[in-house]
Amino acid sequence: MIASVLAVSAQDDNAAGEYKKRVLEHTEIDILLNYYEQDGENAAVTGGRGTEELTDFSPTIIVAVPLNDDDVLTINANISAYTSASSSNVNPFDGKQPADPFVASSGASKSDVWGNVVGSYSHSSDDRNRLWNANLSGSAEFDYISIGFGGGRTWLFNEKNTELSLNGNVYLDTWSLIYPIELRPDEGSSFQQLVPGYDPSFNEHSSKGRNSYSAGIGLSQILSSRMTGYVSADFILQDGLLSTPFHRIYFADKEDYFYENFHLADDIEQLPDTRFKIALGARLNYFVNHRVTLRTFYRYYTDDWGITSHTASIEIPVKITDKFTLYPSYRFYNQTAADYFAPYNEHLSTEEFYTSDYDLSEFSANNYGFGISYTDVFTKGHIWKLGLKSIDLKYHKYDRDSAFTASMFSFGVKFVVD
Amino acid sequence: MRMKKKIILLAGLGIMLFSSCTVLKEYEKVNINDPDMALADRKIDKFQTTFQSYREAASGANGGKTGGGCGCN
Repeated sequence: MIASVLAVSAQDDNAAGEYKKRVLEHTEIDILLNYYEQDGENAAVTGGRGTEELTDFSPTIIVAVPLNDDDVLTINANISAYTSASSSNVNPFDGKQPADPFVASSGASKSDVWGNVVGSYSHSSDDRNRLWNANLSGSAEFDYISIGFGGGRTWLFNEKNTELSLNGNVYLDTWSLIYPIELRPDEGSSFQQLVPGYDPSFNEHSSKGRNSYSAGIGLSQILSSRMTGYVSADFILQDGLLSTPFHRIYFADKEDYFYENFHLADDIEQLPDTRFKIALGARLNYFVNHRVTLRTFYRYYTDDWGITSHTASIEIPVKITDKFTLYPSYRFYNQTAADYFAPYNEHLSTEEFYTSDYDLSEFSANNYGFGISYTDVFTKGHIWKLGLKSIDLKYHKYDRDSAFTASMFSFGVKFVVD
Repeated sequence: MRMKKKIILLAGLGIMLFSSCTVLKEYEKVNINDPDMALADRKIDKFQTTFQSYREAASGANGGKTGGGCGCN
């Protein structure tokens, strides 16, 4: 199919005899690699107290194929292989060392692979002022499978100075219900025998499904010969099982029971079965001169779980030669806590909903990034029939005002097929 | 009610901002067409956006995930 596509000329005339440039001249291949590591002291798996150490390696390939002058098929395949100390403590009793929330277990949930494939198709009108797209996706993890589909429409007008887009997506997800080892119906009874008095009031979830529906609108506008802006809004409704089955909860009004050095769970996280989110975003880019550009972004977010959030970022690409660009960036993020959040061992058993997941707590975070990009628009460098178009390398450092840090190395290379 | 006011304020600001702009011809868009002026995240930032959707409660309005398709918030 690729060969036949490449045989077609790069430009063509439409039925009315007007010149029509191809939407995508040649097949493009992006290969992306990412290494991520984090550490913290507030793991949700161990009720808000315990190691959050995690490493992840994610290779991704994105292939965009022009099917004809107007249509492009894009396939995005991604895997994410991770090792997580906190996930390992779903079952901390590996028999090799005393169980402890700050020590990783060697259990089955210590590592896993998340796989994801997205196929998308886009079609542009002859005058390139109308575009529609559709996508289909699937992903799987040891405790999670998902299918998704969606589509969008884009209209360009005002001599392509203004662009309006609408999109919608649906994700249908299904959990495998994996509970903390001491609460499982079959294995939990042994803990009740080993630890006199331990008798948690735990009920299994009745639902395994989580559905997410989103609708978005975006409007971009060229504001001057040096400035362009974009505003967008996303509205997201989720229903079903929105809590994570292996997140432990400890109640302040219940007696504490330990086995080895590990606090046995009183219950698991309980969250409402619906959530409505609104995100409003804006981008403003300014072309300072042929070397320097300012790229800015702001987002306001709110949901009906009581969380509001502000995100602001700036990136300043600097072209040091015609092929090399440096792009330092800074991002600030803060959020208020969900109504249902309390730290380790501070919830009451009389509450209807509860979580000790610090991702739903109040915090601020600073993210510093530095990237370097090499671009050759003429793709002179070749590997077999692949012309090298660009190489990117980027480093991120992320620090919360709580005990959580993360860092990330990303590498990307883009080829154009001759 | 506060949310409604914020949406109206943002929409008003957007309209004011966009209504004052000029219309550029294609040959006047040299600066605007610079790759660094794209109104979207770089492809290499997709990992950062994904990580944020796991580690932060907020999502959406950035071209990344809005929820679903992962065990994230």
